[in-house]
Amino acid sequence: MSTTGLGARDVTVSYGGDPVVRDVSLDIPQGELTMIIGPNGCGKSTLIKTLARIMKPERGQVLLHGRDIWSYRGRQAARHVALLPQNPVAPDGITVRGLVRRGRFPHHTLLRQWSPDDDAAIGFALERTGLHDLAEAQAGELSGGQRQRAWIAMVLAQQTDLLLLDEPTTFLDIAHQYDLLELCRELHREGKTIVAVLHDLNQAARFASHLIVMKDGRVVTQGPPSQVLTPDLVAEAFGLACDIVPDPRTATPMVIPHASLAHGVR
Amino acid sequence: MSRPKGFLVLGRTMAVPLSRVSAVTGLALLTLMLAACAATLSLGRLGIPLADLPGALTGGAGGKAAFVLERLRGPRLVVGVGTGAALGLSGALFQTVTRNPLGSPDVIGLAAGAGAGAAAVALLLPGAVPVPFGALAGAVLAIALVYLSTGTGFRNPGRLIVAGIGVSAMAVAFIQYVVYAVERDKATVLTAYVNGSLSARSWEHAATIWIVLLVTAPFAAAIAGRLGLAEMGDETAAMLGAEPGRTRTAAVALSILLSAGAVAVAGPISFIALTAPQIARRLTRGTGPHLMLSALTGALLLVLADLAAQQLPLPVSLPVGIYTLGLGGLYLGYLLIREWKKGTL
Repeated sequence: MSTTGLGARDVTVSYGGDPVVRDVSLDIPQGELTMIIGPNGCGKSTLIKTLARIMKPERGQVLLHGRDIWSYRGRQAARHVALLPQNPVAPDGITVRGLVRRGRFPHHTLLRQWSPDDDAAIGFALERTGLHDLAEAQAGELSGGQRQRAWIAMVLAQQTDLLLLDEPTTFLDIAHQYDLLELCRELHREGKTIVAVLHDLNQAARFASHLIVMKDGRVVTQGPPSQVLTPDLVAEAFGLACDIVPDPRTATPMVIPHASLAHGVR
Repeated sequence: MSRPKGFLVLGRTMAVPLSRVSAVTGLALLTLMLAACAATLSLGRLGIPLADLPGALTGGAGGKAAFVLERLRGPRLVVGVGTGAALGLSGALFQTVTRNPLGSPDVIGLAAGAGAGAAAVALLLPGAVPVPFGALAGAVLAIALVYLSTGTGFRNPGRLIVAGIGVSAMAVAFIQYVVYAVERDKATVLTAYVNGSLSARSWEHAATIWIVLLVTAPFAAAIAGRLGLAEMGDETAAMLGAEPGRTRTAAVALSILLSAGAVAVAGPISFIALTAPQIARRLTRGTGPHLMLSALTGALLLVLADLAAQQLPLPVSLPVGIYTLGLGGLYLGYLLIREWKKGTL
């Protein structure tokens, strides 16, 4: 398994109190669509933010091509790793194209806030997310699904090796959730390495090529969904008794819950 | 290489965003301001007739015109333009940081704090410390108080505004106390520190505000792009490499310097910092902090207000701060009506 050059070494992260991520070491695999799952508060969003150089680890290091990611300048790191946060805010009056253009910031300098590659990168991002016809529309007037595509377009325009997504489906209705996951899979098939934090076990099992399962700030296990997802794992990590059956459409593992162990186990 | 649309390109090394609408708005504001400046110099009993103005400005003036230009209205106008620009820029920086039009230096106590500092230094310790340093110390103290009393720094605009109004009221009370504690001609001294005035300004005042402006402007221009990204939320800005925390600190520091400079030369002139960035924003309907246009709008507003202060046929001449206060009241009324119509109030 080749790596992307992004990884964590004994990383512990906290928001001032108890650590939320504890001694995590992992490498993001090259060319995979990795999904990080785990119960609420397991530290999955914190981990992805730490990998994207948004949060600083209390102990340990995030390495980017062998060097501490915090030894890079902000824009330099942002040319390698892009992250779509959970709650990005579209500024008042911005057009979709204007929003996507902001993804080009890491490629600019103080005096040269434009680069010859901008138009190609922005055009590709708009094309790839199906927003070409909406390029001049106000971002504030888009539907939820279209807006999330516009944000994906912004991070695509960033032209990074790695695309990180922090719960990209949370505020979407179910059809748009699958629409977005399909887009992730297409981008993955075209060679993009993607890491996404996801809430829904079955969606993760269906779309991921690599799963990372977390609990209480630690990585419980990782690997292809078909190997990783077992009734024992789901019981251990999520406190849920279940059967795992093949998805009738895709043959990927599918979780069929019995009943919650939340009261019985603890 | 294709020419990028919406950018000002200079050679191969420089390209900065400049949309057509911003350029046109900027030119229009500049033209209006030049007209207001010409009116300021030529209107009224002591005015230099328009026809004589070019000659007077190029050094050909003598006698009365020279006196008006060099001692009376010239310095006052130069101070007015500089102060208005400083206030507009200060407001644009702070409002972008707080993401709220009311999160403005004059609302949250920065200007009143600077006034209190200036009053304390000028009246309690005359000659010990230069007035601008007193203003700066007062501004820093006020903003530190606001920062500490919100409990969440500048993150929550609602708390920031409430804390700021409190600090502002305390600072104004302190100014009143200082003014009454010192036995002087209370009315005029009060005017200078409570309302802000441009009357009887010297070239020293002009030099002070323009030095502050010229020193801070390049830094403001340098962080403009990053400030625009901070509007998308800290995480988005951070992942793009825009260092939102440091950018915010820099913007607040620049805003404090500009406000303190403005207060040091003209007293706490209210509502220019609040309204100028909002007007600039509405004029272009674009995104971003609009630093340059806010500075231009601020300068235009203050020059116009001061023109009214000098030329309106009132029985007593009022300080310009009273006019900007009236302007701010109208603007707040407009904001309330608009929110009410939108149904958010």
